[in-house]
Amino acid sequence: MATSGCMGVADLLRRAVAARASRALVAFATSRRLLRTSPPSRAFAKELFLGKIEKKEVFPFPEVSQDELNEINQFVGPVEKFFTEEVDSERIDREGKIPKETLEKLKSLGLFGLQVPEEYGGLGLSNTMYARLGEIVGLDASIAVTLAAHQAIGLKGIILAGNKEQKAKYLPKLASGEHIAAFCLTEPSSGSDVASIKSRATLSEDKKHYILNGSKVWITNGGLANIFTVFAKTQVVDSDSSVKDKITAFIVERDFGGVTNGKPEDKLGIRGSNTCEVHFENTKVPIENVLGEVGGGFKVAMNILNNGRFSMGSTVAGMLKKLIEMTAAYACSRKQFNKNLSEFGLIQEKFALMAQKAYVMESMAYLTAGMLDQPGFPDCSIEAAMVKVFSSEGAWQCVSEALQILGGSGYVKDYPYERFLRDSRILLIFEGTNEILRMYIALTGLQHAGRILTARINELKRGNVTTILETVGQRLRDSLGRTVDLGLTGKLGAVHPSVADSASKLEENVYYFGRTVETLLLRFGKTIVEEQMVLKRVANILINLYGMTAVLSRASRSIRVGIRNHDHEVLLANIFCAEAYYQNLFTLSQLDKYSPENLDEQIKKVSQQVLEKQAYVCAHPLDRTS
Amino acid sequence: MRQLRLREVKALSRSHAASWPLGRNSNPRRSDSPRKSRILTASLRAAVPLQAPRGLHCSAAAHNSDSWLVPPWPEPRKGPTKALTLHEELFQQTLEGARDKANFVRAVQNFGQHNVHKRGHVDFIYLALRKMREYGVERDLAVYNLLLDIFPKEVFRPRSIFQSMFIHYPRQQECGIAVLEQMESHGVMPNKETEFLLIQIFGRKSYPMLKYVRMKLWFSRFKNINPFPVPRDLPQDPVDLAKLGLRHMEPNLSATVTIYQMPSSRDSTGTADPTEPHIVGIQTPDQQAALAHHNPARPIFVEGPFSLWLRDKCVYYHILRADLLPPEEREVEEIPEEWNLHYPMQLDLEYGRSGWDDYEFDIHKVEEGPVFAICMAGAHDQATLAKWIQGLQETNPALAQIPVVFRLAGSTGELLASSSGLEEPPPPEGQEEEEDSQQRQQQGQS
Repeated sequence: MATSGCMGVADLLRRAVAARASRALVAFATSRRLLRTSPPSRAFAKELFLGKIEKKEVFPFPEVSQDELNEINQFVGPVEKFFTEEVDSERIDREGKIPKETLEKLKSLGLFGLQVPEEYGGLGLSNTMYARLGEIVGLDASIAVTLAAHQAIGLKGIILAGNKEQKAKYLPKLASGEHIAAFCLTEPSSGSDVASIKSRATLSEDKKHYILNGSKVWITNGGLANIFTVFAKTQVVDSDSSVKDKITAFIVERDFGGVTNGKPEDKLGIRGSNTCEVHFENTKVPIENVLGEVGGGFKVAMNILNNGRFSMGSTVAGMLKKLIEMTAAYACSRKQFNKNLSEFGLIQEKFALMAQKAYVMESMAYLTAGMLDQPGFPDCSIEAAMVKVFSSEGAWQCVSEALQILGGSGYVKDYPYERFLRDSRILLIFEGTNEILRMYIALTGLQHAGRILTARINELKRGNVTTILETVGQRLRDSLGRTVDLGLTGKLGAVHPSVADSASKLEENVYYFGRTVETLLLRFGKTIVEEQMVLKRVANILINLYGMTAVLSRASRSIRVGIRNHDHEVLLANIFCAEAYYQNLFTLSQLDKYSPENLDEQIKKVSQQVLEKQAYVCAHPLDRTS
Repeated sequence: MRQLRLREVKALSRSHAASWPLGRNSNPRRSDSPRKSRILTASLRAAVPLQAPRGLHCSAAAHNSDSWLVPPWPEPRKGPTKALTLHEELFQQTLEGARDKANFVRAVQNFGQHNVHKRGHVDFIYLALRKMREYGVERDLAVYNLLLDIFPKEVFRPRSIFQSMFIHYPRQQECGIAVLEQMESHGVMPNKETEFLLIQIFGRKSYPMLKYVRMKLWFSRFKNINPFPVPRDLPQDPVDLAKLGLRHMEPNLSATVTIYQMPSSRDSTGTADPTEPHIVGIQTPDQQAALAHHNPARPIFVEGPFSLWLRDKCVYYHILRADLLPPEEREVEEIPEEWNLHYPMQLDLEYGRSGWDDYEFDIHKVEEGPVFAICMAGAHDQATLAKWIQGLQETNPALAQIPVVFRLAGSTGELLASSSGLEEPPPPEGQEEEEDSQQRQQQGQS
């Protein structure tokens, strides 16, 4: 009964979406084009590095039309019902796999083809809609990861880089869930280091096949999948007729033969998802199955990974909302010293933290999704990476605090909190570890800023008198305490007066961030790549700035449109902005030369000595010399 | 008899406050026995004239006036004197037994028992200090404390500012310092008991006490100052010693030590059959990788022996190395464009680090060729080292293609005569080797 019901809903939605698409496509396209006549605008985050705020990109907060909203709400209802009533997360965690009937229902709900275009049998959801569904899928981490591995990375390559034949051949079955996809990149010897990939595909003598050999590890869905996106080295003749090894992406079916997988890994969290090794032994892959160009696999992999990240924000926010409900119920019923837990300040603080984090990451995720949905394939990879870093760290922090509210009960398996904790740990690791993403965020932005500032910095280095005087004068004015106005506040400003204070904090941070970036580039130039601790700080500031922008934009819209409980939003926005502002000030001061707050040199020394000894260096506190 | 009287003087002055009123109102009738009263008066008579001059004693005067205290002995190490032979007997008695701590302690205790008045205790202490090494107690703190305990207590304590200003009982103080000095040279840290004894013997303001305080200060600071500590007791087994030496030279903890050949016969003295000497080598993974990338057209060299001192032992090692590549052959490591999937490995910018942030010192570095492995072997001839190279080939297949040149120095540049702890004095040549090993066996037994 339930299955057929779900099936009905999915069909209905699919039809509705298709109808809407055909109906609204023309008008939609023209209207949007008309609104944005300028060439593909500059990305917001990159401009922050120059001390500028691209208001057009982030104000007002992106909206969806009422029709779209109604449609998605129709769809969200049954999915939410299914997740809250039928998915037994505790069992999935205990048994280490998702039951078959649950998988079947997920398929019948259409959750396996959310972003596959309609013409290939998927739902063709926009990024915003995809993020909305992610909130619900996030209620069970194992299912969320399985689905993400299938469609955010597994089949994304076919959508992004596949040709018409490949799409027509594979997407329908993948969208329906008949086939499950997996993304095979990581190898025992190569994580992010693509150059050390050992898998190899060699062209057969008849030039119709590639013979694929190699092993891949940590493949989510590796045991379930029928379609693999595999990256392997192939010999490519370069333009200067030299032979080089380059990465190529392939679509590999399990039926091609020679594909085996190891037994599922026993993991800390997301235990229901299937992670295992996959081996390819003399697998014959037809040349039609090369994804993108031969030797163009690196770009394919990069595009897939850069695009998949933003959805973590809404997924985590969905989980956090649920967590707040559960812990709030506990805090309001549990009595200690004749008082409810909810009356204690230290407990209240935790709820405020969870609400704040959920609000910020939700705002960031939907702002990013809205940007991505704009026509012209905007490059939002920095924004997506920031959403991922912020939401994964927020998740870990909030789940830990939620567990703390329950005290000892949170630590036992009778309650789901320990599972949430285990599940959320992976968020900091996969889809690029947060360390690596911070490098990405900082370096991509610095590259952009560095190119634009080249002329100025060269003049400074050459000792051009006017430029130097200009810079010195600017610094003097800065140090005398100028008020920064980047046009967010004031009459007809982009933000509402209720959050104008926070907006001017953001403006000040952005302005001085721009100054600091310039100084850093002047100091380190291209060798800044080696200054990882500096880069981390740059990334942290940028994440805060983006979070501030997102909440200001969202809160302003909420007030102006008159959303329910917008005063609460204003509170959260102001809290976050103030906290982030002071954090940023501190971090900016650490980035100064000779800053007493900056302990990098000492920290490096300590770690150097520890690593040299490969042990804790200090003697035991009870040791004596006599 | 004079000795006896002095002891009593001292006993008296120890209970000075109690005895003084008694002495002042000395009434023969009040004393319990005639003998005691005689001693009392005698000692008081002795004490009063002694107090004043003793404070003024400088070392020369002290020698003269205190000569009745300790038999004169001008230079402690000049040769056997009468007193020395006298005390030597105490050690001779124990000679038939093992030379160990128990017998040493017995000898010291015998001195105390046979010599209740501790006559000649300074000589005895000097003698005992010299004997300590023989008995293997030179690092035993308890024994040093026992030696200090021989000194009579409270006798040599200065009692006025003038006494402590001029060296009070210099010979005794010198002897106390000698004890502490021997402790110092053997790295024995004095403890609270030592301090207590010194205060009892010489008082707080004395030279041995100053020495003690200095030892306390500097020992604790110097004890762990060596960043590459060598264990106090080196392993006797040459293979273990070689392992230790190799680990000592190679800071990389991921290096693997391989025993390519065990000595065919290993006895307690650690001498191996010269035909099958031990070969122990060390190699890091980085060295292995470097060797794998070595251009086979360029030869590599086995060089040595080089010496390495581990405490009082000298071991010899050989290295496998190559010459530095000429600049034109060096490969410049370039960062491939498609390397890191997640973030750019280099920025496409024209400008580099500014001078103000360049903290690299301008050091003129002398570049050297790579060292691929180190080994320590029981023999230093080409045949033995060839076995090492053979063994290395198992883990470094590339070595089979590379020509290996043996450049073995004839001598190590070390003075053979002076190094008593020499492990294996090269060059090994038939007859000499025999003699050497015999010598070594003797040394090991002695």
